[in-house]
Amino acid sequence: MIVLPPPPRYPPPSAQYGLPPGSPLPMIETNNVLTNPSGPEYQFLVGEGLYVLKEDLHLATPPPHPSEAPVLNPNPLATTPQPATAGTKLTLLNLDVTPLAPPVRTGSRSEGTQGSAQDPADEAQSSTDPRESSSDAGRISSVDVAGFKPAAPAFGESNALLAPAPQKDANKRRKPKNNLTKSNSSFISRVIHHDSFTKRLQDRPRDGLFAFANISRGFQWLDLSSPSKAEYLTKILFTKAHCLCHDVNRVTRSSTHIDVVMGFSTGEILWWEPVTQRYMRLNKNGTINATPVSHIEWIPGSENLFLAAHMDGTLVVYDKEKEDAPFAPEAPSDGKGGGKPGADAGRINYSSQIHVQKSVHSKNQKANPVAVWKLSNHRINAFAFSPDNRHLAVVSEDGTLRILDYLDEELLNIHYSYYGGFTCVCWSPDGKYVVTGGQDDLISIWCPAEGPGASALIARGQGHHSWVTSVAFDPWRCDEHSYRFGSVGEDRRICLWDFSVGMLHRPRASSVRQRGSVSSRPGTVVLPPGTNGVGGAAAAAADAADALSSRLRSDSDLSLATKETKGLPYSVAPRATTATLPPVLSKIVDDDVLCWLGFTPDAILTSCKNGHIRTWTRPTELASQLEGETSG
Amino acid sequence: MSGFLQKLKGAGSGAAKTDGTVPAKSKKDEPPSELTPVEKLLYNAGPIREDGSDKFFGLENFGNTCYCNSIVQALYHSNYFRENVVKYPPPPRGVAANGPERKVNVTVRPPQLPNGNASPNKSRQSASGGQLGPSMTAVRPEDKPGTPEYKKKQAMIKGPVLELSQESAGPYGMEECTFTGLRDIFTTLIESQSRTGVLSPQRFLDIFKRNNESFRNSMHQDAHEFYNIVLNDVIANIETNTKRIEELAEKSPNGATSQATSSAPSKTDVVYGVPGTGWVHDIFEGVLTSETRCLTCETASKRDETFLDLSIDLEEHSSVTSCLQSFSAEEMLCEKNKFHCDHCGGLQEAEKRMKLKKLPKILALHLKRFKYTEDYSRLQKLFHRVVYPYHLRLFNTTDDAEDPDRMYELYAVVVHIGGNAYHGHYVAVIKTKDRGWLLFDDEMVEPVDKTFVQNFFGDKPGMACAYVLFYQETTFEKVREELENEGVDEFQIADETTAPATTSEPVNGITTPLSRLNTQPLPPVDENEALVALDHTKSAPVDGDAAVLNGKPTKPDAAPNGHAPSTPTALTEADRAAQSPTKTKAELAKEKKELKAREKAEEKARKAAEKEQARLAAKERQESLQRARDAVRLEREQMQQAIEESKKTAAEEEKRNKRELAAATDTATSSEAGVGDEHAPRNGFLGLAGRSKTVSRKTMTRKSFAFLHLGGNREEEKDKGKDKAAVESTGEKTDLSEMSDDKADGDATPAAETGAPTTPQKQQPNGNSKHGHHLLPFLSSVQRSDTAPGALQQHDKEKDKDKDKPALKERFTFGRGLVRKKSSKFLKTSPTTPTTTQS
Repeated sequence: MIVLPPPPRYPPPSAQYGLPPGSPLPMIETNNVLTNPSGPEYQFLVGEGLYVLKEDLHLATPPPHPSEAPVLNPNPLATTPQPATAGTKLTLLNLDVTPLAPPVRTGSRSEGTQGSAQDPADEAQSSTDPRESSSDAGRISSVDVAGFKPAAPAFGESNALLAPAPQKDANKRRKPKNNLTKSNSSFISRVIHHDSFTKRLQDRPRDGLFAFANISRGFQWLDLSSPSKAEYLTKILFTKAHCLCHDVNRVTRSSTHIDVVMGFSTGEILWWEPVTQRYMRLNKNGTINATPVSHIEWIPGSENLFLAAHMDGTLVVYDKEKEDAPFAPEAPSDGKGGGKPGADAGRINYSSQIHVQKSVHSKNQKANPVAVWKLSNHRINAFAFSPDNRHLAVVSEDGTLRILDYLDEELLNIHYSYYGGFTCVCWSPDGKYVVTGGQDDLISIWCPAEGPGASALIARGQGHHSWVTSVAFDPWRCDEHSYRFGSVGEDRRICLWDFSVGMLHRPRASSVRQRGSVSSRPGTVVLPPGTNGVGGAAAAAADAADALSSRLRSDSDLSLATKETKGLPYSVAPRATTATLPPVLSKIVDDDVLCWLGFTPDAILTSCKNGHIRTWTRPTELASQLEGETSG
Repeated sequence: MSGFLQKLKGAGSGAAKTDGTVPAKSKKDEPPSELTPVEKLLYNAGPIREDGSDKFFGLENFGNTCYCNSIVQALYHSNYFRENVVKYPPPPRGVAANGPERKVNVTVRPPQLPNGNASPNKSRQSASGGQLGPSMTAVRPEDKPGTPEYKKKQAMIKGPVLELSQESAGPYGMEECTFTGLRDIFTTLIESQSRTGVLSPQRFLDIFKRNNESFRNSMHQDAHEFYNIVLNDVIANIETNTKRIEELAEKSPNGATSQATSSAPSKTDVVYGVPGTGWVHDIFEGVLTSETRCLTCETASKRDETFLDLSIDLEEHSSVTSCLQSFSAEEMLCEKNKFHCDHCGGLQEAEKRMKLKKLPKILALHLKRFKYTEDYSRLQKLFHRVVYPYHLRLFNTTDDAEDPDRMYELYAVVVHIGGNAYHGHYVAVIKTKDRGWLLFDDEMVEPVDKTFVQNFFGDKPGMACAYVLFYQETTFEKVREELENEGVDEFQIADETTAPATTSEPVNGITTPLSRLNTQPLPPVDENEALVALDHTKSAPVDGDAAVLNGKPTKPDAAPNGHAPSTPTALTEADRAAQSPTKTKAELAKEKKELKAREKAEEKARKAAEKEQARLAAKERQESLQRARDAVRLEREQMQQAIEESKKTAAEEEKRNKRELAAATDTATSSEAGVGDEHAPRNGFLGLAGRSKTVSRKTMTRKSFAFLHLGGNREEEKDKGKDKAAVESTGEKTDLSEMSDDKADGDATPAAETGAPTTPQKQQPNGNSKHGHHLLPFLSSVQRSDTAPGALQQHDKEKDKDKDKPALKERFTFGRGLVRKKSSKFLKTSPTTPTTTQS
């Protein structure tokens, strides 16, 4: 008798090739689970100390809608287009509108300083301008919009037609018109409230953190400050559409009003006001654009306008208050947008311009869309607004990073990945740098002010073992000389990166690089914006001028600098002449592909495709120090 | 017990047999051949090109020969390779008088009758269905519209089926070999007046199997191994030919005329000699530098070795980039794997790393998905998620590498579908010059979306994983240009309500401008679904009629093929598709009822007649074939003698130069149909390695030829295992395992010999240690699926349960699993041996 080897348990269970469907998946709806795993594998050590996993909140992936039959075609070669999906993405929201003091950390640059290599001019600048610091604390920090006047004009300001309708009571926000709970829309499958919804809203601390999260066809509103944070405040299940992205308006938030927009795999957009549970659908049935929304964000400082990236390479500005109207590209009225006359018919060279299909200056502003910009035929994976509220960094699947001036609706610069698509992008808090992650497993640090193409590449970070999915700066660990950012990737790793203006040394061939002012400032690789093509003295002057400007300093000179260089042959920086940055930390922190990371004053948060939201508390001394700073 | 096993085996492996013996009854009319998606893609394509880049032929499967088909497709659609293959050997000067330089012996198979069962491709259905597991329904897969089997059958019916089943060497001036076989295929495709169809590469396979006995069975084979052997064969063939011609040039011109070729007068021989094998190396060959630094004396030694492809170990949740990096990661040579340092004179600990010195034009990356696991005593497939980008640059180059930032673009992905190494199916997804991406699944060719290419990372259900990735050299500018020209609305997804609006645009793309067609293959689903809907009305008139009568032709539920709409996409696709055939449906509905009965009767009669006719025709063909074959054989025998003679003199020369190995090659390549000659393949390798000294091809890469080393490591075990295998009394299977063992032994030898100066044996185990840690991620992944939360977990378990049964059967079906088990006893002491061999 032959003893048979045990049956192989690997590969993972899946339908066999060509088999007719088996039984439908017995999936039931489950609850969120909060766990507190501990042990050495749940912490990581960086220069500043030990980050420890505080908790793991697992969001339940909703089962497929009954009408949405489970994937019945087990043929792996089926050419049926797959619906667009996105992992769990979070938005954190702090309702505390009192201006949070920006983490001024100029004096306490103790850890990880590469001070010896610092440029004296920069040092001087920092000492003369204590206000100059990282300012925008990213998504969660409270940018006090009312408190300061940004240098750049607000988007759409010039067009009177876009002015929001006057409101009688400034405190009373306009609500969406439909009631979510009583809706019988086929778009929404179910809405579940927590039993003590109102009580929980009232009892919570004023500065507590809310979280909004999308996970497949579900959307959850969580209160991270609550002891029972696993219990969502509201959970919405959509019928077929998957929520791919969402954003919360920082301008209009209050304890009685929160504006959330969500982008869906069907191209549709939902404006939702969670407190009163009202909603409105935009781009209904894809009237304006039928491709999935890959990224959505409120335009900084705007109450009504938000920008959505559709997967056909179009950026669309919507007004939450306006109705949809079928959209056909408009001929550019005055050529301002840079689109050729009749551009929609002819070929557009997307590497030198964007196609303004409808300008924000258009006179026809009765209905959505407010503006439509076609960037390319390739899927836009992400975009980010610069802290100076003037520039927009857009990354696409075709491996391009485009820097737009969205007020002027112009393409300023285009930069290319080493290879493969770009997946994520963010700005440094001071707006000097743009960091991208891509399918080349690399982090690329760009200084858009440096000029076009490859010359703007400051360094490449090599530390991920697979594609990078999200990057974000840690504003609490950035100052004007050194920056900390984090990245997560499909390799399930989190990487933390430190770079400072003086530390990046190019490999041997660095002299090859042509840059006008490199000799005037020995020791510095990175120049602050404003020094393009001018001598050291002028640079210093520019710095001084910068110092006088508001702390959210504008790089508006960036556009000046780059306009003249337009049309240069773009290329990719070879590896031999590009500085390589190693991560200060690279650690596997989850069991599944990570898709988002965020920073709060006291923690780093990561989320994975599967719905695990992990909170890694910062080293304790630092947290307390920060607390002292913020309260003081 | 053995009987039981046999039975199970029969059930698992050979749906082929049952398929072949049981005459399938086809009750229904096959639908009139519609335009297939490829044909639609090629609609209005303009004149046929001369370079063959617009030929999209399926390749017939003769039962588990998908490994061959996918690789041949990938090779054909490489412009570099195709162009060079058909250029070699260059036509001798002054030969124009002979008319067209080359005539491949192509027969166009008469169109296959829709209901014909006698076709040899019957077995193919099951070949692809080999991994089907238990068949669920009485309906054969090829009768179910929308299935790959159905499409394949349609492709065969539609034709033209170009058959390359007879020997056709001669005018090349080369004897029949792998190269000529491949060239015949390429030439046939290029010269074909049709852009689509099916080619039957029978002769090529015959030649290949003749020379490689491990492939001389109808089992599932490893596509990568096949690729490797084909390339090496091609190199060997060309080298032999070059050498022969050189020698001929030296000999008297009379020798040339005595050749059957007669097209090579001595003057032109020089022309033959010039190009040599350089082009194959130019395309595929790269150089690896292994830098070893002795930790005792700090001496660094470098050694270059060439490779034709890179076999890279996989890590879970990684990218190809990262896997390539770890391929070049530093290794410690310590403990058992110490390095013999010439400087210190002894075994020392050392650091070693491999970097790329010369980048090939075509970079073939073999992802080591098959891993030998002790637990199961068999090759286990790794389902790691390994992402691969459309473009690639290599990080692991040496400092002195030429063009270290070379850009590569992905142009072909060979996908393995199946749960383990012993069966499954291979398909190729290939980027064509200007028709976007196409899926080549044996006889079937289908345009696919660009995003389809990235469906095979390994984590999706369906067990389809990228197995060999072909990247080809390109430039940044070309890439930019292409990307800018590239498509529109790749992600067209709309709600049902928008469907009417969408349908206003042409459904099948016939009227869309060519420019769009060029860059953007239409979502093929439309077409499929359209076909589906049509067929449905035909085969099951009641339902179809009902749908029409109810005025609900667009109801998505009407899609009968199990493509139940699971997403808004599917819905709309179905909607859109369903609209197009409405007219036809209505017409059919009218005719259907009255005609049905009559048709059936007629059909039966006709079928019988056709069958009879077909049989007669086949018989005739067979006879004529036989006659032709005999004639050719006679001719060849004469030629053989002549060659043999010249070979002998050549061998003597070689000996004089103390190059015995080359002599061995000559015998190997000239040994005709060496069925009993076990050494043929081995000699091929030996000779190859030996001869290529001139081109600095000392040895094949350790990593790219993992299977060689498998043999090396397991030599003894294999011998013992062989004995055991003999005890396993399962006829053919035993032979097979023996054969594979022999082969492994044979293969091991050259590896040992050629690498001798730099002690590859010492380095080898160290490779294993590298692979050893593979086991960990593998285990953890198993755990992972267990810890999958909540509902998912249940789901997994459920599937697990389902999985166990077929898996168990699989084990039974192949005796080899058991053989392996035996030998695993010995293996346990040694580190886990990774391998790409599937024997």
